[in-house]
Amino acid sequence: MDKIKLRQICFLFAAMMPLTKLIVYPAMLAYHAKNDLLFSASANFLLEGTVIAAVMFLASRTRLTFYDLLQNTFGTIAAKIVYGAFALFFLFSALLPLLEQKGFVLQVFYENVPSFLSFAPFFAVCVFACVKGFKGIGRAADIALPVTAVSLAVILLLAFPEAEFSELLPVGGAGVKNIFTGSLYGLNWFTDCLYPLFFLGHFEYEKHAAKKVLLSYAAGAAAVLLFLAVFYGIFGDIALRQINALAQISKYTTSFTSLGRIDLLFIFAAALPLVFYLCVPVQMCVHCVKKVFEKCNPIIPAAIANAMLLTAGVFLKYSFFEVQILFTQKLWWVFAFFAYAAPFLCLFLRRKESGRFEGVKRDE
Amino acid sequence: MNKFWTRIFLIAAAILLLLFFSNDFGLINIQQTTVVTAIGIDRSEEEGKIDVSAQIAMPEGKKASSVLVQGAETVGEAIAEFNAKTGWYPTLVHCKLVLIGAEATGEDVFSSLDYFLRSEFVEDSCLVAVCEKTAAETLQADSPIGELTSTAIAKVLSSQAQKTGQVSVCNLRDFAKGYFSVSESGFLPLVSIKKEAEEASSGKDSSQSGSDSQSGGSSSQSGGGGQGSSDVFDASQTVLFYRGKRTETLDADETLAFNLADTDTDLAYGDVSVYENGNKVTYNLKIKIGKKAQKLKIEDGVPVFTFQIRAKAQITDADRSADIVEIAKTAIVPERVLRAAEEKFKAELDGIMEKTRSSGCDLFRMKQKLYRSRPKDFETYKDGLLTNARVLYDIRFDTLR
Repeated sequence: MDKIKLRQICFLFAAMMPLTKLIVYPAMLAYHAKNDLLFSASANFLLEGTVIAAVMFLASRTRLTFYDLLQNTFGTIAAKIVYGAFALFFLFSALLPLLEQKGFVLQVFYENVPSFLSFAPFFAVCVFACVKGFKGIGRAADIALPVTAVSLAVILLLAFPEAEFSELLPVGGAGVKNIFTGSLYGLNWFTDCLYPLFFLGHFEYEKHAAKKVLLSYAAGAAAVLLFLAVFYGIFGDIALRQINALAQISKYTTSFTSLGRIDLLFIFAAALPLVFYLCVPVQMCVHCVKKVFEKCNPIIPAAIANAMLLTAGVFLKYSFFEVQILFTQKLWWVFAFFAYAAPFLCLFLRRKESGRFEGVKRDE
Repeated sequence: MNKFWTRIFLIAAAILLLLFFSNDFGLINIQQTTVVTAIGIDRSEEEGKIDVSAQIAMPEGKKASSVLVQGAETVGEAIAEFNAKTGWYPTLVHCKLVLIGAEATGEDVFSSLDYFLRSEFVEDSCLVAVCEKTAAETLQADSPIGELTSTAIAKVLSSQAQKTGQVSVCNLRDFAKGYFSVSESGFLPLVSIKKEAEEASSGKDSSQSGSDSQSGGSSSQSGGGGQGSSDVFDASQTVLFYRGKRTETLDADETLAFNLADTDTDLAYGDVSVYENGNKVTYNLKIKIGKKAQKLKIEDGVPVFTFQIRAKAQITDADRSADIVEIAKTAIVPERVLRAAEEKFKAELDGIMEKTRSSGCDLFRMKQKLYRSRPKDFETYKDGLLTNARVLYDIRFDTLR
C-alpha cells in the first residue's frame, strides 16, 4: 500500500506549501486587499487550518482511507464516482500553478526569450513522480525541508533591510470588502488542506499527530505571512505588478554588489521543492484514477494527465491572466466546494466498517 | 515500473535537463543578443516624440557602443528599432541605469518610464537620474577610469555615495513608489558632466559622433577611453518631481541636508562657518546621525510637521591655522560651532520646505504619513497640507567622542 510518514506530511506543510504562495499570489492579494493583504491571507490560512484540523480529527477516529469511508457509506460505485470527481478537480487545480510556475521559470531563469519547451522537462519529472505515488511525495518533502528552510531564510534576510513596514498602514484601510475579495479570489492557492484527506489510512496516526501537523502548517503559514509583509513593505503601492514575487524581493540588496545577484542561487534552490509540489495535485489525480480503475497501470493515467497539462500549457501560452481570472474570480466556488465543503462533509461519513464493506475488503 | 523503464526515464530526463539549463530551445540565440547597460531618454525635436539612446557593452578589449533612435513614439518602439536597425536583440536584464534628459522632464516622465515597469525582462532595481544636458550626450562622455560611461555614472550614484550624503540616489522602484503613492512626488539626482584637464590629443572626436547622428539608428564609440580628454560626473544636486514633472532643484547643501534628514545617510561631511574675533572661520565637520525622525500631528486643526534629528559632530579641518593644543583637541567641537551647525541645518531644511511648498512636491511624504497615521483626516487635510503645515525643527548636535 502507498504509505507516507507523518513526518513527511508535516514537512509538506512546513516546507513545500508556503512556496506555491510566493509567486503570483502576493501580487494578486496586493491588487485586491492592498495594504491589508495580511488579513486576507490570514483568513485563508485560518480556514484551511480548520479543514486540516477536521481531517486530522477524522484520522484520529478511523484507520480507514477516504476511499474506504466512501465505500463504507455509499458503496463502491459511489466511491468511484466521488474519486473520479476529485481526480478531475486535482487535474483542474494543477493547471494554474503549472502556468504560474512556467511563467516564473521562463522569466526569471533565462535572459533571452525562452520557448515553452524549456519547461517541458517538468512533465517527465511529473510522470515519474506520479508513478511513485505517495512515497514520492514523502521523499520530496524530506528533501524540501532543508532546501526551503535555507533558501527562504536567505531570501528574506536579504530583503529585510529594504522593507518599510509602515507601508502596511493604515490597518483596515483597504476596507472589509476588499479584504474579503482578496480571500475569496485567493482560494485557488489554498487547496493544500485536501491532501491529508487522501492521506487518511496511508499514514500511521500516532500520539499528538494532529498537533504536529497543525504546528507544521502554522509554521508554513507564518513564513508566508512574513514574506507577504516584507513583500508589501518593499513595493508598497506598486506591489501589484510584481508577479514573480519570490524572485523580486531580494534583488535590491544584491544588484549593485560586486557579487551581483547572488540571491538567484537561493531562488533556483527554492524552485526545486516548488517543482516537486507542483507534481502533488497531479499525483493525487493519478491516485484517484487508480482507485477508480483498479487494474490500471499508473503510468497510463500519469501520462494522460501530464499530456493534458502539457497541451493546456501550449494552448494557454499567452492566456495566463485570462486563466487566472477564470480560476480565481469565476470558479472560486469549485475550490470552495472541493477543498473546504467536501472535507467537512467527510466528518459525517460512516467510520464503522459495515458488513458489506467487510465483504469487499475480504475479496480484495 | 520496471528497472528498464526507470533507466529510460532517467536518461530522457537528463537529456531534457541539459537542454533546460542550456536554453538551446530559446527563441533568441545568445549570440545574437546585445547587453544594454544603460538607456537614455530625451525629448525629440519632433513634437511629442522621444529620442532613446542605449549604451551597449562590447566584448573585452572593444569600446562600448552607443545606439541612438530618434523620433520614437515610445521606449518600446525604440527598443524594437534597435533590433531592426542593427540585427541585434537588445537584452535589458543588465540595464542598471536610466538617464532622462533635462528637457524630457518638463513632461510626465512616467509616460516613458512606465515601459520599464511593464516589462518583466527589465529590472526595476536600475538607477534613475536626470541629466543636465541630454541623456545621449551624457552616455557618450568619456569615463576617466577606462570604464563604461554607465558604470562610471552608476559609481557616482552608488549606495556608498548615498551613505555619505553627497548624492540622493534613487532607483526605479522607489521613484515609481513615490509617483503612484498619495504623495505623487519623488526626487532624482541631477548628473552633470565636468570636463577634466585634457591630456594629449585625440579621443574627443569619437565621443562626439553619436550625438549628431542621423535619424533612425546610429552608433558611436564612447567610454573605455583613458586617452585624450575625460569627463567626471557630478550628482550633488537633486531634482524634485511632482506628478512626474520636474518642479524644483536642490543645490548641493540642500541635498546633503535632505539626505541627513530623510534618507540612508548616517555619516557625512559638511562645512559650517562661524565668526571668531571678527573673522569668518569655516570648519569642516564629520557628522554622524544618531536619530532621525519626522512626525506629523494635528494640533488644534493645524498640521504640525516635526523634524527630530540627533547628530554628533567632530572637527576634521578648519580654514585657519591652529595651535597644536587645538589640533590635539580636534575631537571636541566648540559649542558655538555646534549651534552654528544646528542653525545651518535648520536653514537648509527650511529652504527645502519652501521649495516643496512652492512646487507641490511632497518630498518628505507628509501626505503618506497623514494617510497612514490618520486615514480619517486625510481627505480634510491633504490638499493644503504642504502649505498649511507648521514645521518645527528639533535638531541637536553634540560632540562625537
